[in-house]
Amino acid sequence: MKENYFGSSLRKRIVFIVIVGMVFIQTIQLIKMQLLESNKYEEKSKDNSIKTIQLNAPRGIIFDRNIEIMVGNKPSFTLQVTPSLYDISNSKIIELMLNVNHGYVKKILEQYNNFSKYKPRNLMRGVDFKIISWVEENHSKLPGLNYIVDTKRDYSFGINAAHVFGYTKEIGKEALQKDDGFYSIGDNIGFSGIEKQYEKYLRGTKGNEFLVVNSSQKIVYKYKDGESDVPPIKGNDLVLTLDNKTQKKAEELLQNYKGVAIALDPTNGEILAYVSSPQFDLSHFADVTSNALWDILRTDPNKPLFNRGTLSMYSPGSTFKMLVAIAALEEGIIDPSYSVNCIGGLQYGDRFFKCTHFHGKVNLHKAIVESCNTYFYRLILKLGIDKLNKYSKMFHLGIKTNIDISPESDGLIASREYYNKIYGKGKWTDGYLLSLGIGQGEIIITPIQLAQYTSLLANNGVTKTPHFARGYINSKTNEFIPFEFDSIKTLVKQETIDFIKKAMEGVVKLEIGTAHAIELQNISIAGKTGTAQNPLGKDHSIFIAYAPIENPKISVAVIIENIGFGSTFAAPIAQKIIRAYLEKEQIVNADTLNNSKRNQIENKL
Amino acid sequence: MKISYKLQDKFDLVIFFAVILLVAIGLISIYSATFNHPTANKNIDKQLFFVAVSLFILFIVYWLPARTFRIAALPTYLFSLFILILVLFSGKTIYGAKSWMSFGVIGFQPSEFAKIGLIFFLSKWLTDTKRDINNFKVLFYTILIGFIPIFLILLEPDMGTAIVFAGISLVMIFWSGIDLFGLFVVLSPCVILFASLFGTLPFIVALFLVIVVLFYFKQNLFTSGTVLVINLAAGFIFEFILKILKPHQVKRLLTFIDPNSDPLGSGYNALQAKVAMGSGGLFGKGFLHGNQTQLRFIPEQWTDFIYCVVGEEFGFIGSILILLIFLTLFLRLLNLSSLARDKFGKLTIVGILTLFFIHFTINIGMNLGITPVIGLPLPFISYGGSSLISNIFLIAVVLNIYRNRKRIN
Repeated sequence: MKENYFGSSLRKRIVFIVIVGMVFIQTIQLIKMQLLESNKYEEKSKDNSIKTIQLNAPRGIIFDRNIEIMVGNKPSFTLQVTPSLYDISNSKIIELMLNVNHGYVKKILEQYNNFSKYKPRNLMRGVDFKIISWVEENHSKLPGLNYIVDTKRDYSFGINAAHVFGYTKEIGKEALQKDDGFYSIGDNIGFSGIEKQYEKYLRGTKGNEFLVVNSSQKIVYKYKDGESDVPPIKGNDLVLTLDNKTQKKAEELLQNYKGVAIALDPTNGEILAYVSSPQFDLSHFADVTSNALWDILRTDPNKPLFNRGTLSMYSPGSTFKMLVAIAALEEGIIDPSYSVNCIGGLQYGDRFFKCTHFHGKVNLHKAIVESCNTYFYRLILKLGIDKLNKYSKMFHLGIKTNIDISPESDGLIASREYYNKIYGKGKWTDGYLLSLGIGQGEIIITPIQLAQYTSLLANNGVTKTPHFARGYINSKTNEFIPFEFDSIKTLVKQETIDFIKKAMEGVVKLEIGTAHAIELQNISIAGKTGTAQNPLGKDHSIFIAYAPIENPKISVAVIIENIGFGSTFAAPIAQKIIRAYLEKEQIVNADTLNNSKRNQIENKL
Repeated sequence: MKISYKLQDKFDLVIFFAVILLVAIGLISIYSATFNHPTANKNIDKQLFFVAVSLFILFIVYWLPARTFRIAALPTYLFSLFILILVLFSGKTIYGAKSWMSFGVIGFQPSEFAKIGLIFFLSKWLTDTKRDINNFKVLFYTILIGFIPIFLILLEPDMGTAIVFAGISLVMIFWSGIDLFGLFVVLSPCVILFASLFGTLPFIVALFLVIVVLFYFKQNLFTSGTVLVINLAAGFIFEFILKILKPHQVKRLLTFIDPNSDPLGSGYNALQAKVAMGSGGLFGKGFLHGNQTQLRFIPEQWTDFIYCVVGEEFGFIGSILILLIFLTLFLRLLNLSSLARDKFGKLTIVGILTLFFIHFTINIGMNLGITPVIGLPLPFISYGGSSLISNIFLIAVVLNIYRNRKRIN
């Protein structure tokens, strides 16, 4: 190179080009950023400093049929952690304060690690006030940790009804990914029972608050003075069909038993009381449910988490006899005078099918009142499986009721197809039917079906799908909006129904009746005892009833597991539930009477 | 008019006013970035004090005799090395680098002082008579002069300042008239080092290219062999640098490639700076009205990210103004480098120009997202006493050289 000397003009030129070139490149970048793409950066700068805070809406209140609170809300502190700001080295002290295992915080953070790091996750619900004040005091040392005042369910109104109300739970990861955008991390969602079924009504509408924050996410001031904030709207209150007093009574009555009690208004399918026992204590489900509690509930041999009312399946026992009788009468196979001589059972082939007593000559009425098995063995042989099946379907037995909580079982009613499938075509005989006639064997139904069947009998073959919710109170308009439910109708002649009802009346009223012990002076009750044979242990005691006879307002089905004969245990419980409901009405009526009298007196004065 | 002509004859007004303008813009920006800051709101007062001190120094240095700097070159360099070693033992660690010396209330960065020492001594060394940069031995010693302070600074570790020192040495060697082979000897280790950043394969490819070029130059076996060994060593120095760089510095280097990959990590500053710059638009959001600045989205914005305060609050107009003032300053310095009366003065001005230019390029570049985030302040504008005083001192040196340009020894 000939330019190899100090400060040659070529070298000077190179330096000049480098300087001008660099300023040129920077100018180009300036033009690009500040003139061409400034909108993009302006957006980002706004996103940076305006923080949207989700304001959770309180869930709707759950009322009973008389607008008495059954499930309410109470304030609760929720501790939250924002991963983008959180300092992991603080986990130890936080875990110590919360009294949880080491690694708890890490687990929470990992749970949603593919969601936005800027969104807070719930660290713990229902946190004690002491811990909240500790967090507040050490705010500067605990970056990414904050708390919100939220609401949690308040179950302090004397009703547990765990299987009815169900509970809420923090929305799971899978549900969150499937969701169309309503829910975000940490939101509570109805997880079972009414809370799940009516989630859309109860959940309300979330609000938003816009805050201007600085780089350390500290709130500097409210964006536009809160002008664009959207307040949350409380969920709609739900009005249930349950009757507070009856429900409470039923819960008390079943406290020490395993079993189910369901009371319906036969005229419209409204569920007045519903207990599946044993229950679990809902108040433990208001906050985070500890794993220890879950394990206890899950492994309990009495299965408290299991909703017996819709899931467990029992043979209806003798309560099924009315259906056999109706089928036989309607099909003209017998008339009410048809009689059978009961010798304590029936010899069929090489097997003797037993009856409970030696009844002698019994007609249909007596066969129901005294629950004679021999009569119904004969009857089912005359009726045949196909007709039995037709009438079972008519009374919605072995079919899901579509009650407004889930899940629900369907049960089983033996049919020709079923037997052909199980035993093979032509390989089963009428002898297989005998036990079906008394509601044993391959007749398996859920308690809610049994209650619905009772309602159909009580209300002359017409009722509605059993349901828990009457309607909701719109939180914006304060207007009550009722829910509609399907009608159910059987095509049974009134005289047939009347005959059956007369017999059910006799079960309680007549001294020879199997449930005479529960007869009341002031309330006329009709019913039928039953015993479900249980191959695994003691029989289940069953009783169905309705009252008052002239104008049924309540129908009840009670099943007590592993306890023995129907009339001894189930019948008194049913009677007390009926009393709790009907006597209360009379008291209410008496009160209004007194009031009107008082008014009259006051008017006179 | 006559007076002003006389003044310009003795005192370069272009440089002086460019610097004064930059210092003023700096004060405005520092005020905006700190006036509502809980801990840094006194910085504007401190910076005003530093401005006063440095102007005082400027006029003293301006009147110093012409030979002063050449005489002081070696002692200044040796003292620089001394305090660079001292700081490694008794320095204060700030932002992961042991770069601060403090004497009671007053603290300063030895590396700022060492800049002066390096420029003076390299100028003296390279312009001593009978010294030919194209002599291999001379080149080796020259590189050594540059390398000792760089090595010491890397130990702090302060990557940014090390780059500045390397750049100054390189440009001064270049200006001294190094030939192509010499330039190759100086530059090839840098290329190798850069290639090894990207892995083993690029390293091997680059080494192969070096060998090919060595054959092209047809130097004797000993020289070629030495160059190859130096290159090999450079490749392994990368491992060493990675080891002495703090994790946050390595991360900064790596996230430069994709600042979005870790928006709240080390790419955060770069991203927020770009947002601040870009959202300024043509006219900016107005003084004290930039939300990025006022809500403190960029940590320590009054130091390395001061340019985006201007970018956000005064927009394109303010930003381009700063670029133009710097451009004027640089071109004027380049011009003055020919006016100096001796080679020492010329080379000193080139060294000073290089120092400001590298700071300017990297600092503006990281504010605009075109260079990695390497902590280097913007001369005259960023907050900081050591840097302001040493920069103004160097400007005073330039003005002194200008004043003495016509006197012949």
